[in-house]
Amino acid sequence: MKSTLRLSGHRHPYLMAAVVFLVLCVVNAILQPSFLKFGVATSNVAAFLPMALVAIGQTYVVLASDIDLSAGAIVSVVNVVVVSIIEGMGGTGASIAAGLTLGIAVGLICGAVNGLCVAYLRFQPIVTTFATGIVFAGFALWVLPEAGRQVPPEFYLAYAGTVLGVPTVLWILLAAIAFAGVIARTRFYQALRATGGNIQAAYQTGVPVARVRLRAYLLSGLFAALAGLALVGETASGDPLIGGALTLASVTAVVLGGTALSGCIGGVAGSILGAFILGLINNVIFFAQLPFAWQGLIQGLIILAALAGGVVMARGRQET
Amino acid sequence: MPILEASGIRKQFGGVVALAGADFSLDAGAVHALIGSNGCGKSTLCKIIAGSVAADAGTIRLDGNPVSFSDPQEAAAAGIGVFYQELSLVRPMTVAENIYLGREPRMRTGLLDRDALRSQAENALEQFRSVIGTGVHPDARVADLSADQSQLIEILKVLAANPRIIILDEATAALDRNQVDAVFHRIRALKADGCAIIFITHRMDEVFEIADRVTVMRNGLTVLSQPIGQTSHDEIVAAMVGDVMPPARRERKHVPAQETALEVEQLSAAKLAGVSFKARRGEILGLGGLHGQGQSALLRALFGALPLKAGSIQVDGKRLAPKGPRTVMRRSIAYVSGDRARHGVMAIRPIFENLVISLLSRERRVVVQTERLERETRPFIERLKLKFSSLQATVAELSGGNQQKVVLARWLATHPSVLLLDDPTKGIDIQTKEDLYSTMDELCSQGVCILLHSSDDEELLGISDRVLVFNGGRIVAELTGEQRNRQALYEAAYATAPAAA
Repeated sequence: MKSTLRLSGHRHPYLMAAVVFLVLCVVNAILQPSFLKFGVATSNVAAFLPMALVAIGQTYVVLASDIDLSAGAIVSVVNVVVVSIIEGMGGTGASIAAGLTLGIAVGLICGAVNGLCVAYLRFQPIVTTFATGIVFAGFALWVLPEAGRQVPPEFYLAYAGTVLGVPTVLWILLAAIAFAGVIARTRFYQALRATGGNIQAAYQTGVPVARVRLRAYLLSGLFAALAGLALVGETASGDPLIGGALTLASVTAVVLGGTALSGCIGGVAGSILGAFILGLINNVIFFAQLPFAWQGLIQGLIILAALAGGVVMARGRQET
Repeated sequence: MPILEASGIRKQFGGVVALAGADFSLDAGAVHALIGSNGCGKSTLCKIIAGSVAADAGTIRLDGNPVSFSDPQEAAAAGIGVFYQELSLVRPMTVAENIYLGREPRMRTGLLDRDALRSQAENALEQFRSVIGTGVHPDARVADLSADQSQLIEILKVLAANPRIIILDEATAALDRNQVDAVFHRIRALKADGCAIIFITHRMDEVFEIADRVTVMRNGLTVLSQPIGQTSHDEIVAAMVGDVMPPARRERKHVPAQETALEVEQLSAAKLAGVSFKARRGEILGLGGLHGQGQSALLRALFGALPLKAGSIQVDGKRLAPKGPRTVMRRSIAYVSGDRARHGVMAIRPIFENLVISLLSRERRVVVQTERLERETRPFIERLKLKFSSLQATVAELSGGNQQKVVLARWLATHPSVLLLDDPTKGIDIQTKEDLYSTMDELCSQGVCILLHSSDDEELLGISDRVLVFNGGRIVAELTGEQRNRQALYEAAYATAPAAA
């Protein structure tokens, strides 16, 4: 049993996350009997989607052994820019299209700034993205000093509605998974993992390491932008502080999902599970009706336990 | 016309001249052996040809046209494939992913064809199937492979790019005889296909077995280039050694005592295969040989920085179990590394803190008694003629030589009875070296036992009382008296390594 577990740990770094996810689903279903109903499940997906999207983008950066501490701030910037553009242009269909396009463009520009500083100017990733994050967050506050403004009902109704009988949020999640599945089968993805695993070896093998790292940050910016758009749909308004907590939550989701902060090992599937784990922990704490004072404590302990499981499996991996 | 021609290549790293106008020419369909002792410039020359290091001067012609590669990608595009001595494998990735990194087979959609990747890797592995051992398959992770298996994978990776010029920098270092045969078989096939191969090795028998031509480098210059049929083992060794002058013997005060200070029996660890020897009080015991044959590993194992697999160590007749540097230090053993940046100084901290760290970690006091510590270290600062503005200045402000003196003074302050010196004079100036030599002499007169590993053969032969020559993790010769000369050292160092551990 132990040896099969180890073997699976090596092939599937997200296995531990899957186990924790299922356990939390069972606990949640016991505490909240309606948990398995389609409507409740959909609203859970809607609630967890922004974090899952940021975690997907963060995964690519972490696989290259870098980190993006500005991801949450990019979410905020995109959120307020989109709301401002749509409102400013009068809330027409054209304004929504312009808002979506420019929102994604802003995310990519933020990612490009990070990537250029880290990959080409060789700035230290943690400090650089921490600093650019402050800049992005400041920019978001400048665009929209306090939460407010409105998007037209078409926007948030479409987000909360269904397409071909399937909820829009599920479509978005499925599209993101499909996109990640395609990326995982490209030469770029192999180059990304090689860069994270041994940057010197990758360089000597002719992998364009700087370009690869830049692209990872672009992906992080893109997915942070998508998360910002999802939050517009969710809240129907703008909030310059909405993304702040998502940065470290996304890193936590990535690590819970079995991706190594040292790079190379892991993948998007685990990060999505990690994001859902973080969401479910909040659900469980809410439905367990724990006193407020206990919530932080329990949340932290569950995350630590999930991490410990991953560490035990990683040890097994190294010993084989 | 040669396929590749390098002429007048110069390269300096900081103040050290690596290449002083080296020439090299390579013909298609030939194996050209490139040899020379540690630091002769052969690896630098290869890195320049491969585009990973830029030359200061000189020209490289490919098919007669001058080229200058700014990165390895350009060299690879021109058909140059390199086996890197330190390997260029990504350990967490699989064998198949590593062999075809950057040239993975793709389907018409542009996505990776994983089945093709696996079957191509399977085919590539087939060439070495009979010698590569168990556990190697396309989906195995490189991290799970042994050193020899990884080397064979690196070779397959180089060949997967179909290069027409192949540089093999110590590609056979970790391989056993059967594996070498399999690699040579492959090299001969490549040669027949018109590939040109630069073959770097430290094993002389391999040179005569596979090479068509041999070039010897010394001190950054090409000193011999001959078709293999027109030269001999002795001529090659002589070219590597240079003027066969006995190394200058230094005047010395110390005379080794008869008492054994350190006794090592059958010590095994990573890179060490059953090493036994005795070192006496007041003796400088040199550890020589080619780079990385176990000299450094022995010193780090003795200091508890490298886990032991087997063997026993006795210091002054009492057993020592090196559980870690802390336990070893308490037995009056000190270790000084030549790799100051990594193992020596804390560059951004004051000189004083760098000096007293060894005393602090030995005496387990809670409160630092600054004045007493300064009193205790002062004599050693003076003895080593350390030059500094203030004890509160950071070590980073000192020259390399003075930094090394700080590290040495730090350890001398603990009054060691056994001093382990791991290439202590690497990259430091002559005056500082002289200071270190006279300090070593003085320490030995006081009964200290010094184990000295040096990559500078002249220094090693000149100041050691005896020299143990390492080859493949074993001691293959002991040089005493008049035997302490380059000829004898190289004969032992370049002999075929005993079967890999």
